[in-house]
Amino acid sequence: MTALRIAVGFKVTPDYEALRPADWARAATGPSAHGEAVRYVRRVFNVFDEAALELALRLRDARTERGLETSLVAFSVAGREADPFLATLQALGYEGARVEPDADLDFAPATTAALVAAATRHLGGEVLLLGSRCGPGDTGLVPFLAAEALGRPSLPGVTAVEPAADRLRVTFSAGDQPLRATIAPPCVLAVGNALVSLLRVPTLKDRLATRDRVVTTLTPADLGVDVPAALSREPSALVGLETIDRSRAGVVVAGASPAEEARALYEEHLHARLERI
Amino acid sequence: MAGETPRIALVLDATGAAAERHAQALGGFLRDGLRFSPEHPADAVTHLFYAEESARERLLALAPTRLVRLVRAPPHRPDLMAAALAAFAAGGGAELFVFGGPLGAESAARLAARSGGGVLTGVLDAVAAAGALSCRRHVSSHHLIGRFELRARPWCVTLDAGWLDAGFEPPAEHVVQASTELREDDSSAPRLCDDVEVFEPPATSDLEAAQFLVVAGRGAGGRAGVERIATAADRMGAAFGVTRPVVMNAWAAPDRQIGVSGTRAAPAVCIVAGSSGAPAFLWGVERAGFIVAVDTDEHSAMAGEADAVVLDDAVTVLEALADIVARERL
Repeated sequence: MTALRIAVGFKVTPDYEALRPADWARAATGPSAHGEAVRYVRRVFNVFDEAALELALRLRDARTERGLETSLVAFSVAGREADPFLATLQALGYEGARVEPDADLDFAPATTAALVAAATRHLGGEVLLLGSRCGPGDTGLVPFLAAEALGRPSLPGVTAVEPAADRLRVTFSAGDQPLRATIAPPCVLAVGNALVSLLRVPTLKDRLATRDRVVTTLTPADLGVDVPAALSREPSALVGLETIDRSRAGVVVAGASPAEEARALYEEHLHARLERI
Repeated sequence: MAGETPRIALVLDATGAAAERHAQALGGFLRDGLRFSPEHPADAVTHLFYAEESARERLLALAPTRLVRLVRAPPHRPDLMAAALAAFAAGGGAELFVFGGPLGAESAARLAARSGGGVLTGVLDAVAAAGALSCRRHVSSHHLIGRFELRARPWCVTLDAGWLDAGFEPPAEHVVQASTELREDDSSAPRLCDDVEVFEPPATSDLEAAQFLVVAGRGAGGRAGVERIATAADRMGAAFGVTRPVVMNAWAAPDRQIGVSGTRAAPAVCIVAGSSGAPAFLWGVERAGFIVAVDTDEHSAMAGEADAVVLDDAVTVLEALADIVARERL
């Protein structure tokens, strides 16, 4: 295979586990309230995007071992909250770019996909890796809509990517069925439940070496995307939010030791139920 | 469009695994999850995509509607499926497409993009009224439910995985309206794969059928803790599952995962050991008859969403419980 450029689109999301039930009740009062409720929560990589970023690094490493030229670019459709994450990615060897959407795209998969496709054309990337799903919309549509906009085929649920002669060997999943295939770029790979899920940590030396590197900032106009027009054509519109009541009795089982607690749990709650199974 | 009758197409991708369950999901949704205002009898047709001629009759019997259009297609080609369905929609064939099967989301996305229609995935229920399809689905990692409207047609939707357990008896007889074949070169899109290989059979999980389930979370503390809980589960005669963080830390195999990206269980009794209770995990156990949470954190979401709570070290309590259950069940 000749030189290969790999693009990875990623998103930083609020750490939803840091929110309390009261925060979610407030978020459910309306689409705009959702953004307000999560605005001050710390940001983390979307888990599927983090796996995609590490898979791309491993693919680069494997190709480099074989003497194959590979370049990496990571981009996010996001505000400045993505900058610290882009700095980390630059220290790991990625070029970094950010597309400033100037609009709330939390529930706008088609507009997001249009920007992702346009950014991929602008920045280059025969292989585009994206996380399978990303909150808060969680539709899983962005990789497929981006593939459609780019005129590329795509694979779902990707869990591993390896070099194979002049192509790529991809492990993926369609439903519950694990599959493996040899593919030829250009393509879009939607990364799913990869075991490689944590991004490596850059060394201090790498951080210092890249600290002055500038993140490329793009506007939708730079990419030829009219965001208000795209938003007006979104294939679905969020009109309301509801909380989910999962509450149960929550009876605390008391005991002076784990053995006593286990005994009380068995006698008061489990014995009769297990008898019926 | 009040009073107008949207034509409904159920799209069953039977080129891959689990065709029967996806057929049941489509049938269950048509029966229980889709409403019209004003009411009208739904006249739906199933587009059944299949790969092997030898499987045609068996798969036809699964079709959830009496009317069926059979399409033989190469496997793993959602672009071809979308192209065929776009032609069907353009000819006025249907205004609502409900997708079932492993490639449903990609097919729905590509069909909506090509036909200018609306698209939504993971639909819990839907109401067609006043010219729009109003749907509910989980958002924000299962913390909330969002209500969405689709206006542009065709409406293309995929279903929440909960519909896989809907239970549905297909009609005894089917009428095949059309039978066609799609070829690799029917699409202008480049061919992606030349050698798709199924490298292990689809998992038939014991977790879905389990009546007594023990689930280990990150609170187990590491691989050793997870293995001790698995041993305790085995001694009690319970199935054993884990949360996503446990799989991500490689403390257990991925096929043990419970939750949105794993298995959705429905046991009579479920003991959750050392999990904070992330909503994406809770979705996997919320249908349990009785849930016990064992964890040191009394403020965890899991403690608030269990029937009984033990506030102590998960591994120690599970081993003590296994001693009791194993002795009592002898």
